[in-house]
Amino acid sequence: MNRVGPVNIARRVRLLLTISGILVVVFAIRLIDFQIVRAEALNELSFEKRSVSRTLPAVRGDILDANGTVLATTVYRYDINAAPAKVRPVERRVNGEKQTVTVEAAAADLARILELDVAEVSSKLIGTSNYVNLKKRVDAETHRQIVDLGLPWIFSDSYQNRLYPNGAVAGNLVGFVGSDGQALAGIERQFNACLAGVDGIESFEKGVDGIKIPSSAQVIQEAKPGRDIVLTIDADLQYQAQQVLASEVERLDADWAAAVVIEVKTGRIVLAAEAPTVDPNEPGKSKPEERGARVFQFAYEPGSTMKSITAATAIDSGYATMSTGVTAPSIIQVFDRSIKDSFDHAPTNWTLAGVLRYSSNVGTIKIAEKIPAKTRFEYMQRFGFGKPTEVAFEAETRGVLNDYRNWDGVTNFTTMFGQALAVSPVQMTVAYQTLANEGVRLNPILVAGCVDENGEITGQPKSTPTQVVSAKAANDVMLMLEKVVEQGGIGKATSVAGYRSAGKTGTAQIQDGAGYGKYFAASFFGMAPVDNPQYAMGVVIYKPKQVWQNAMAASAGYQKILAQVLLANRVPPSETKSPEIAMVW
Amino acid sequence: MNGIFRRTRSSGPIVMILVAGFLGISILHLLLTIATSQSVYELADLKREKRELDVTSQILSEEVSSYGSQQNLLTVASKLGMVANSNPVFLKLDDQSVVGQPKPASDSAGQYQNLVANSAMINPSRTQLRTELASSIEPGQIPTESPKPISAIPASPTR
Repeated sequence: MNRVGPVNIARRVRLLLTISGILVVVFAIRLIDFQIVRAEALNELSFEKRSVSRTLPAVRGDILDANGTVLATTVYRYDINAAPAKVRPVERRVNGEKQTVTVEAAAADLARILELDVAEVSSKLIGTSNYVNLKKRVDAETHRQIVDLGLPWIFSDSYQNRLYPNGAVAGNLVGFVGSDGQALAGIERQFNACLAGVDGIESFEKGVDGIKIPSSAQVIQEAKPGRDIVLTIDADLQYQAQQVLASEVERLDADWAAAVVIEVKTGRIVLAAEAPTVDPNEPGKSKPEERGARVFQFAYEPGSTMKSITAATAIDSGYATMSTGVTAPSIIQVFDRSIKDSFDHAPTNWTLAGVLRYSSNVGTIKIAEKIPAKTRFEYMQRFGFGKPTEVAFEAETRGVLNDYRNWDGVTNFTTMFGQALAVSPVQMTVAYQTLANEGVRLNPILVAGCVDENGEITGQPKSTPTQVVSAKAANDVMLMLEKVVEQGGIGKATSVAGYRSAGKTGTAQIQDGAGYGKYFAASFFGMAPVDNPQYAMGVVIYKPKQVWQNAMAASAGYQKILAQVLLANRVPPSETKSPEIAMVW
Repeated sequence: MNGIFRRTRSSGPIVMILVAGFLGISILHLLLTIATSQSVYELADLKREKRELDVTSQILSEEVSSYGSQQNLLTVASKLGMVANSNPVFLKLDDQSVVGQPKPASDSAGQYQNLVANSAMINPSRTQLRTELASSIEPGQIPTESPKPISAIPASPTR
């Protein structure tokens, strides 16, 4: 009998230990080889095969109004996709019980949530493809409902999308971005450097099935979010102005209407509204001409609202006072052209105040004909005409103000009452702000600044006051313009009970080919309250087709908007009365 | 011979100790791995919950924005009889005189109906307020109850 003796056991133990020792040594060598000698190369090779990096999109900053109302923000939207090759019935647990959801039932659920036709969804779910898009750009709530269906063959792609919660409110100013997130218009594009952040980079590992390995994500570079932009406008007043303008455009059958309100003592633009205008959520639904900001980008011949500027020039340069008298017929001959007033009248002895009150073209010429063209040109430049405003809105018009040396004989006269030159609504409002601010012109301000990481507004534009005309000249013109509102048939329609206000009508013919056509740009520009001017304002109604209403076209909208501006800002009613000013001599 | 048996007897406990130690370390390692895995699952759950809450936050923010939009406020306010009047009247306290003539607001400017487009307005009746934490929903369990409006505020008129 072959028994295992103590010697055999010892031998076997030694053999076992020897083999184990050899194995340990072999493994140790391999371990050292993998972990130390070739560790770096192997890691690199492995990481290259598994590692994927992707961009972490930076969240774009918001656009806010002066009161913090969000006009533009960033949200996530989702494209809902399916993998038809993997479509099959799914098991779902409802109240603890298993239920089988057929493909047809799932398609019906998808169609209901995505607001699509069931047949359309069903047809998309058939095939061998691993990708088919069911619907693009759905919101988070819809996406959540889709996820809740628990369909393993449904997947989604998320991406950032711009949302404009108030729609077309200030759409003309805010602008919009394209479907790829690129800023295309307005503040969105002009201040892209502030709004856009810096994208980050994330690296993660994927398995053999290409799926991201959980907890393998490693942020290589953090995304730096964009900063917010704060505008000076009041979104509530902007909305009310847009409401009024939209209503007036419809009532008057006009091409468009615009309104601008500026704080007299700061130059801040309170509203710059127009109608019709773009809803930045869906810019494609607007006509191309409605996707910009006419208040900054459109120049028109202003007509009689320019007479206020001519009057201020005449007083400041010493060629006239409020009581300077002229005898004005209703028509005069200037070179080869007849210039007439808007109504027939016998030759009348008007003062400068009377000329403004009755908006006499002939009277204006007789007051200003002694002023050298160079002087008037320089005053117009100082009022801000002929160059873009300091807002520097994208594609802002400079208007048309030709060099006085190129004025022909007739142009020299027609520029006195707002023809042969063109201005933007903002330029003209700034000119009236100058008159309301004792002759001191302030840079108009639309953007209060960019909000930094500490919540502080940085890059605030500095206003550089310019004394355009003397305080007396400016105040005299304002008092004369108050008579337009107080006594004028049209101006009276702009008055707001309790407040002294001043302003000037404008009914400018619009060029059609070589001459003037049958349509007008009706406008009213002014300031209020006269005893303590707070706001300069203008309304332009472009091409109202109700021709008989041209002269009145802008007054109703002006009155409604001015009333809201004064009331919303709790401006105290006037305590004083306007002084007596002679209209005739 | 006795010497050999003594050596054999003495190596037995050592092997047992080694095996027991190995087993002990393996079990400890297993327990640590389980604990770590559990933490990873918890972390994943918390991340999922955060994602859900972020989405909820976005949904509610969009809804609040829609309710707070000027277009919706005008609709709601006009339903409540609140209308803008551009004919202010003031009572001067010092002499108790009245400035201005009271006139009822008219809709000549169409101010009662919204004329400013807003395609971002949502229909909040679709929205369900989810306050429960995502982690409290059992995996695979799909809420089946129909969505309820979050309050009695009138719905935004358009989407």
